[in-house]
Amino acid sequence: MKVNALAAAVLGLLLSVSGAAHADRLDDIKSAGVLRVATFDSNPPFGYVDPKSNQIVGLDVDYAKAVAAKLGVKLEIQATNPANRIAFLTSNKVDLVFANFTITDERKKEVDFSTPYFSSGTQFIAKKGVLTSPAQLNNLRIGADKGTTNEQQVRAQFPNATIVAYDDTPFAFAALRTGNVQAITQDGPKLVGLLAKVPDRDKYEIPPFTISNDYEGVGVPKGETRLLNTVNTTLTGLEANGTAAKIYDQWFGPKSAAPLPRLFKIGDPQKS
Amino acid sequence: MNSWLAPRYLAWLWQGFGITLGLAATVAIAATALGFGLALLRNARSRQIQWIASGYVLVFRNSPLLVQLMFWYFGVATLLPEAAMTWLNTPHILALGGLTLHWPSFEFIAGWLGLTCYSTTFIGEEFRSGLRGVPAGQYHAAAALGLRPLAAFRYVILPQAVRISMPPLFGQYMNIVKNSSLTMAIGLAELSYASRQVDTETFKTFQAFGAATLLYILTIALIEAALVVFQRSGARMSHRS
Repeated sequence: MKVNALAAAVLGLLLSVSGAAHADRLDDIKSAGVLRVATFDSNPPFGYVDPKSNQIVGLDVDYAKAVAAKLGVKLEIQATNPANRIAFLTSNKVDLVFANFTITDERKKEVDFSTPYFSSGTQFIAKKGVLTSPAQLNNLRIGADKGTTNEQQVRAQFPNATIVAYDDTPFAFAALRTGNVQAITQDGPKLVGLLAKVPDRDKYEIPPFTISNDYEGVGVPKGETRLLNTVNTTLTGLEANGTAAKIYDQWFGPKSAAPLPRLFKIGDPQKS
Repeated sequence: MNSWLAPRYLAWLWQGFGITLGLAATVAIAATALGFGLALLRNARSRQIQWIASGYVLVFRNSPLLVQLMFWYFGVATLLPEAAMTWLNTPHILALGGLTLHWPSFEFIAGWLGLTCYSTTFIGEEFRSGLRGVPAGQYHAAAALGLRPLAAFRYVILPQAVRISMPPLFGQYMNIVKNSSLTMAIGLAELSYASRQVDTETFKTFQAFGAATLLYILTIALIEAALVVFQRSGARMSHRS
């Protein structure tokens, strides 16, 4: 009897301890009234310090604000960088990571990812009207940056394209301007950043297609299913009520400094 | 380090090596002809021609080759009319019987032009020092034998000048082969470009750059061997006469 009682007590203790360790993060956030989020502070337009207000702003920050608003809690921003995004999550320093966080199988071993809310991929800049469909790439001279995945993707998918690789993107763009190549390739967000600084940018365009896609999601601590579900439903809700498109347009819309066509909506099926 | 490069990547290196050889050979031929002309112009009677020739040397020898290549590729291209650039950048194929000739890419043309203009100055100076290395007594002796100045130059001075300038001239050919690697900056897919390409795709850094290094060394060694053969045959010929 005594042994049984002791066993029951130990078992109860164990249960309560494990219960404490698995205290649901969503409840913690709600009871604290604060959502702690890690964002970039030097990666415009995803997350950067606004020189006027001295606050961290950006596309990722706006999404984080929307999620905090949905939960009805205050948002607390923690600046991060690519190297310590995962460490912040696993060490319980933050609740969520909104930091242009590309979803990869390798990272999925460490953290959970929400449904993607942003997508970027290998895109092109060409003179207006030159490039309208990916099939044309096979007959063009394409400028690339040496050693980038963009160059390798073009070579793998369009074996007849002539690829000329330069030391960096400005060189490739110089070759495009002089007519040595008809298009140059890089990640879409980088291309818009480049085009934003060009004086005669009206002559060029970023054709609205990608030849590969990376998906960025919200980093959620591993195993926090309720929190993950809440983030997911919030994101799909933002798409449904048009908030997601508004946030995108503010940073990448036609009137923004770096216009990039919105090719991916939250909930769209993912391409390779 | 544990395996050698796949055949596909060896083919890339091999193609790059072909471009390096083609570029170096055509540059060497053009720069030799132009360099010889330059040396003659620098010894011309007219002061003006001398100035023009030394002005050319001043400009092309005293600026970095990389900058010159960028100038030809990026700079001059902006001056050319758009139609000319379009023509230069579209492939043109000429079929002669069973032989097809491809018009070279603009990267090749710019690289060839840049390397030729640059190498011409060095080769011209080697010829000039060869001409100056022939003692003045040779001119007088030739004149005393009744040779007109042109004949004296052709049969007495020139053979000696060429022999004097031969070793440094071959040194310049070696430099052309090595300098051709700079054209990778303007996107010409020669050996250095190919080795970097292979490195980024395979991460076999040692093999990629090692193979390129060996091919460069091999080429330079062959040039050196050619010089030795040339000097031996030249020595035999002068013994016979």
